[in-house]
Amino acid sequence: MEAEPFIVLSAILFTIGGVGVLTRRNAIVVFMCVELMLNACNLALVTFARVHGNLDGQVAAFFVMVVAAAEVVVGLAIIMTIFRTRRSASVDDASLLKY
Amino acid sequence: MSFEAPHIEYATLSPLLIVFGVALVGVLVEAFVPRRLRYLVQSVLALVGLVAALAATIWVATDLTVRGDGAARGSIVAEGAIAVDGPSVFVWGTLLLLSLISVLLFAERHLDGGLSAFAGQAAALPGTEAERQASTRGLEHTEVYPLMMFAVAGMMLFPASNDLLTMFVALEILSLPLYLLCGLARRRRLLSQEAALKYFMLGAFSSGFFLYGVALVYGFSGSTHLAAIAEAVNGRIGGQGLLLGGIALIAVGMLFKVGAAPFHSWTPDVYQGAPTAVTAFMAACTKIAAFGALLRLFYVAFGSAERDWTPMIWIVAILTMAVGSVFALSQTDIKRMLAYSSVAHAGFLLVGFVGLHEGGEGISSLQSVLFYLVTYGFMTVGAFAVVTLVRDAGGEANHLARWAGLGKESPLVAGIFAFFLLAMAGIPLTSGFTGKWAVFSSAAQGGAWPLVVIAVLLSVVAAFFYLRVIVLMYFSDPVGDAPAVAVPSILTTVTIAIGLAATVVLGILPGPVLDLAADAGAFIR
Amino acid sequence: MELYTPVIALAAIAAGFAVFSIVMSVATGPRRYNRAKLDSYECGIEPTPQPIGGGRVPVKYFITAMLFIVFDIEIIFLYPWAVAFDAMGIFGLVEMVLFIATVAIAYVYVWRRGGLEWD
Repeated sequence: MEAEPFIVLSAILFTIGGVGVLTRRNAIVVFMCVELMLNACNLALVTFARVHGNLDGQVAAFFVMVVAAAEVVVGLAIIMTIFRTRRSASVDDASLLKY
Repeated sequence: MSFEAPHIEYATLSPLLIVFGVALVGVLVEAFVPRRLRYLVQSVLALVGLVAALAATIWVATDLTVRGDGAARGSIVAEGAIAVDGPSVFVWGTLLLLSLISVLLFAERHLDGGLSAFAGQAAALPGTEAERQASTRGLEHTEVYPLMMFAVAGMMLFPASNDLLTMFVALEILSLPLYLLCGLARRRRLLSQEAALKYFMLGAFSSGFFLYGVALVYGFSGSTHLAAIAEAVNGRIGGQGLLLGGIALIAVGMLFKVGAAPFHSWTPDVYQGAPTAVTAFMAACTKIAAFGALLRLFYVAFGSAERDWTPMIWIVAILTMAVGSVFALSQTDIKRMLAYSSVAHAGFLLVGFVGLHEGGEGISSLQSVLFYLVTYGFMTVGAFAVVTLVRDAGGEANHLARWAGLGKESPLVAGIFAFFLLAMAGIPLTSGFTGKWAVFSSAAQGGAWPLVVIAVLLSVVAAFFYLRVIVLMYFSDPVGDAPAVAVPSILTTVTIAIGLAATVVLGILPGPVLDLAADAGAFIR
Repeated sequence: MELYTPVIALAAIAAGFAVFSIVMSVATGPRRYNRAKLDSYECGIEPTPQPIGGGRVPVKYFITAMLFIVFDIEIIFLYPWAVAFDAMGIFGLVEMVLFIATVAIAYVYVWRRGGLEWD
């Protein structure tokens, strides 16, 4: 199996996620971009597992999924609280703490 | 396919298991114990659990097996996932002690009219009737104790993990509860929630980088075990690009947790917004855990690629010290100033880390950093504990202008705070001096003397802003009505006393703890 | 300089093409607006009516979704265990029971504190 295309795809997905985190304003969308980054990692891990012919990468992908789910819950809880307080999920609005 | 059941050394892992177990019991307590009893049950449970874990840690520490040439002691347990060795046990002990005194801060109820520093009901919107009701009914979130215990467990697992996957899971276990704890302040809830959001967003972003680094390093070496990675790095099998990219991305994730520039931008915001008890806990313990993990990862796994990563760490160290020392000068909020001071400390610790002194003559880099972490931890918790005492009608008076003239208002509190500041500045006869001396001398012996010169110069700059606060407290007149210094209960008093005692003793008699750090030996591989 | 001439020429052509397309489509294209065109999506079914108050969804949906995600994903660890059930033997069984007990503790907390109540 040719591994390179998968790695390149995962790198592209990771970059899209990273750029999204830096440029998007809505907290939920930012958060989705973080998830995209984690899933790009999963793709890379699974591909490398295939390349090396061992299971470590696949096991890692399982754990990453669970961790991502836990992160989703914590993240959504925080974003929801902020949204209920401020009526806005824009990360630009959260600017009381500065300098 | 044959399959062998894994072997888990429960006894060696008992400190970790106790903390995790106490956290789970804490969740059950939340579910079943009536509301009015929860505070007492939870705080006692947390204290007992931490003491038990500390006892177990000491037991494990006395029972470490000597390996190889005797430089390293300990064993790799849980099928290679966790390394219980000298440095691990040392970090565990430090973390547990600091967590113990942080729990006392969490449990403090004297300062705010009989209520803890945590939101009565996090779900109630700030400034609404529901929030006022929650406050008058005396509600409080006792979930903070199990959350804290989970964080402590993650912090203990982080520096002990001998496997990149375990390390990632530990990183998340320690981070997720902290994100929530940051958002639970009773006063200034908007700031607190904003701190939680920022910490969460940036934390998740950085753990994404960490994970991609893990994936690349796995791609390079074909294993997530540190020993196997070290072997692959040594033999330089596989693609160089994968390795270098992996190291860089993992370093980004790690340096974020450590709070090193240019990944420090969350530190001031989060330290300011979080409840001060949480800030104290987080500032001390996260840094210790993250530095433990950073040292293990870079010394054990990437040790033979040191020529690739030392230049990067040099630059980061210089930048971190400079940013921490210079930006702290312009701060007007005491917690933000302490946050920048912790950034500067991260820089000094990085100097020790990058010295790469193997030991032999004097203590090794690893041991000096461990010692510095102990001194830093106690003075940080102590200083933030003092910050909780200076209050006005709106809660804590964190603006520096409100601290003017505190020396006349309350000589004792101002004196203690001044002492902590002097320790952070690294004045002789305080633990800050011995800690700095240890890391700088080991770094100089390791050949990083240009870095040490820069570090010494920058610690002089850093000393300036600590002195500025002391001058403000003693030689300025109060502006408007001076903030009152609240009288704490025995809990905060004990925390401050322990922080103070550790800072004094480690400054005058650092020998025993230095011996203990030296006794920790090296990482097992 | 000669080396860059093709690059500059290509950039000029690309920019010219972009400007030309936009200008021409505005200048020559017909404008016939109708309701469907003003909708967010031009194809597919009609969008469902928005909830009152600008598309806000009650918080309880969020809570249910969050609980679902967590408990749903935990199942992931059961699959490998189920595949290697025989080989793992009694050790695997005990560890799995411990794991499920841990998840059950979280569940009990949610249940006792009213996280599962809809109203």
